[in-house]
Amino acid sequence: MPKRVAIIATIYRYLSHAQHMGDRFLIGYPLHGKWHKGDMEVVSLYVDQKPEGDQSQERAKEFGFKVYPTIAEALRCGGEKLAVDAVLLIGEHGNYPRNDLGQVLYPRYEFFKQCVEVFEKDGRSVPVYNDKHLSYSFEKAKWMVDQSKKLGFPMLAGSSLPVTWRLPDLELPLGCEIEDALMVGVGGSDPMDYHALEAMQCMVERRKGGESGVKSVQLIDGDAVWEDKRWSRPLLVAALSRSDSPLGLTVEDARTQDLLGSGQLQKIVKKPAAYFIERNDGLRTTLLMLDGAVRDYNFAARIKGKGIASTQFFLSPTPNVTYSACLVSKIEELFVTGKAPYPVERTLIVSGALESCLQSRKQGGKKLDTPHLAVKYQGVKTPQHARE
Amino acid sequence: MITRRELLAGAPLIASAAQAGQPKIAAICTTYFKFSHSQHIVDRFLIGYGWNGTHHKPPFDLVSIFVDQVGSTDLSRGREKEYPSMKSYPTIADALTLGTGKLAVDGVLLIGEHGKYERNEKRQTKYPRYEFFKEIVKVFADSGRAVPVFNDKHLSWNWDWAKEMYDTSLKMKFPLMAGSSLPVTWRTPSVEMPVNAKVGEAVCVAYGGVDSYDFHALETLQCMEERRKGGETGVKWVQAYRGENFWKAMKDGVWSRELMDAALCRSHTLKPSRPGFNNDFPTDDSMRRLVRQPVAYVYEHNDGLKSTMLLLSGLVEDFNFACHIDGRKDPFSTQMYLPMPPGRTTLANFFSPLTNNIEKLFLNKKSPYPLERTLLTTGLTAAGVESLHQSEKRLDTPHLSKIVYPAPVDSTFWRS
Repeated sequence: MPKRVAIIATIYRYLSHAQHMGDRFLIGYPLHGKWHKGDMEVVSLYVDQKPEGDQSQERAKEFGFKVYPTIAEALRCGGEKLAVDAVLLIGEHGNYPRNDLGQVLYPRYEFFKQCVEVFEKDGRSVPVYNDKHLSYSFEKAKWMVDQSKKLGFPMLAGSSLPVTWRLPDLELPLGCEIEDALMVGVGGSDPMDYHALEAMQCMVERRKGGESGVKSVQLIDGDAVWEDKRWSRPLLVAALSRSDSPLGLTVEDARTQDLLGSGQLQKIVKKPAAYFIERNDGLRTTLLMLDGAVRDYNFAARIKGKGIASTQFFLSPTPNVTYSACLVSKIEELFVTGKAPYPVERTLIVSGALESCLQSRKQGGKKLDTPHLAVKYQGVKTPQHARE
Repeated sequence: MITRRELLAGAPLIASAAQAGQPKIAAICTTYFKFSHSQHIVDRFLIGYGWNGTHHKPPFDLVSIFVDQVGSTDLSRGREKEYPSMKSYPTIADALTLGTGKLAVDGVLLIGEHGKYERNEKRQTKYPRYEFFKEIVKVFADSGRAVPVFNDKHLSWNWDWAKEMYDTSLKMKFPLMAGSSLPVTWRTPSVEMPVNAKVGEAVCVAYGGVDSYDFHALETLQCMEERRKGGETGVKWVQAYRGENFWKAMKDGVWSRELMDAALCRSHTLKPSRPGFNNDFPTDDSMRRLVRQPVAYVYEHNDGLKSTMLLLSGLVEDFNFACHIDGRKDPFSTQMYLPMPPGRTTLANFFSPLTNNIEKLFLNKKSPYPLERTLLTTGLTAAGVESLHQSEKRLDTPHLSKIVYPAPVDSTFWRS
């Protein structure tokens, strides 16, 4: 029997997350050199907004499911009781306001809460995948994870960066001793810094002892970033050496660049930002958001006894965005096996760290202690990114 | 204030190169503009490039450059000012002798790609690689000394000339390396053909034009196939298909549809066949609609291995490989990934592993992979073009039948 899937989305429009992930449940996707159609059937859809270009009705008609006016009805397929085996919750894209931290208030928590209400009322729970971070608010995110524990349903969340191809195909050995880690990201807050933080988190959670929780955060921006001694120059060189998209002189005449060594970096990045995240076990990690430097996502870490390891998280070209196929294969694993392939705590800690970083920025770059982010968990042994 | 760079710019060339004491390299190029092969390769020698997690500067001094066509978009003259250890010369001989009358470099880059050169009646661009090569070896002969040469892409559009280049390097005993960046770039997934695998049939799904990207696709196939049990045994015949004949051949199963589909499933650039969908698998009808000028080269090796190169412009924009291996239920497949500017990236970083392998040629005075690979793909490219020219006739290839070689066990593709 195919798994019956409900899609709960903010919008369903071309190249929205709901479209490029939801469609893979409808028409399949490339996996391990085959066109893979999972044993899953989309049976219901809820969309919160129907902007111009909405595809919800069109898809429902073609693939024989119904668009329901409420989340509860979508989960019950119009009946009395929960009538699906899994929920794909995609609260990304759509027109939602921002709060004073600059976070887009996507209603993931609100959608999730409605799912949980159905689970509770109907006395049965099913696996839930939540796209991207859990909520803009750690308190709400924590509640979401707590509910999954309380009701005993498996939950997966997060970005496609941790599971996409890596150039090179680097996985840090589980239990390695990480001395320092640095991530380079680009793009706006809060969507793109979140992706970069989660990419860094999927690497550093593999360190000896596992994730110990976040002790403090600080977000600084502007020229102070260049002068700050907390981030490692060799790690930045390593991360940038993995980039395929340096800007500035490369855009002019396609030359290669040693962006940091040549001094060009400071010229082409007008508004650098550093997200300093200190962990309870003493590890210091840094996300540098360097708009204007590159266009890709690169990571470097210093591993005790082994030197510097670095890689690029490969965001494959639009429109295929095959990285979302990598993510959908993990979601399928969750739905089919009832077990999350990697811990939802990864996304929980990143959701909270991001919120606290943005609070630090709002308070003029003040260092903030984060006792509430004492989220502890272990990484999984088997690499989860695309490599087959 | 006078900067060090400006100071160096006024200094005698030989002195500044000699101070560094590194092996000297000459670059012999057709042209040097943004995104030309010369720019990609020579820039990496001059400026360095990201490698193994650092900015790597090759341990050579690129001391001289000859550029055949210096047009309005030329960058070589600007680079010469910026990197004064490199000086441009009006002739190939001068670039190799640094004006001394005797060979004065330790390695030669021969980059005969891009530039305005005539096409013949078969639509082959007559890039002057052979002509440049002849001038290079004349300096070698006159100087009584030969040094390693890297020849970018295929050896020559003309088989006889390509064979002469190969023979000359053997006769004069200098290492010659050639070929595409496809064999050495990233792979998604990062896998290597197992050595001594029993390969049943192989397909490459690629894009681009004839006498151009066909060569890259053939190198993609060959760098994998040469690792099979028994090594390369030579190619017996080649037949090209295009247009309606292509679609008929696909329908008739001239090549494995399973392998073609596996290769398509490695693509990151499958053109959506339906509006509103971003990543669907094409039906035969949508393939016909999307691919206006499909081309296939089908060829058989002496040990019976059948290979097919498919150019599917309009459907994909990447290079994907699939083959059957004995003992495996599913096809073995991967993509040779090119971070291709300007659409997807700003740097053509597939030139980084190519440059790194060229460095190995210059340092070890031995090509990291067999020249026979590119001799064969040069001949296959010409044979494919010839078959197209002769109304897609199947052509026996006795000259390619003799290209027999073992593959090196070590992998040379980019994976760290």
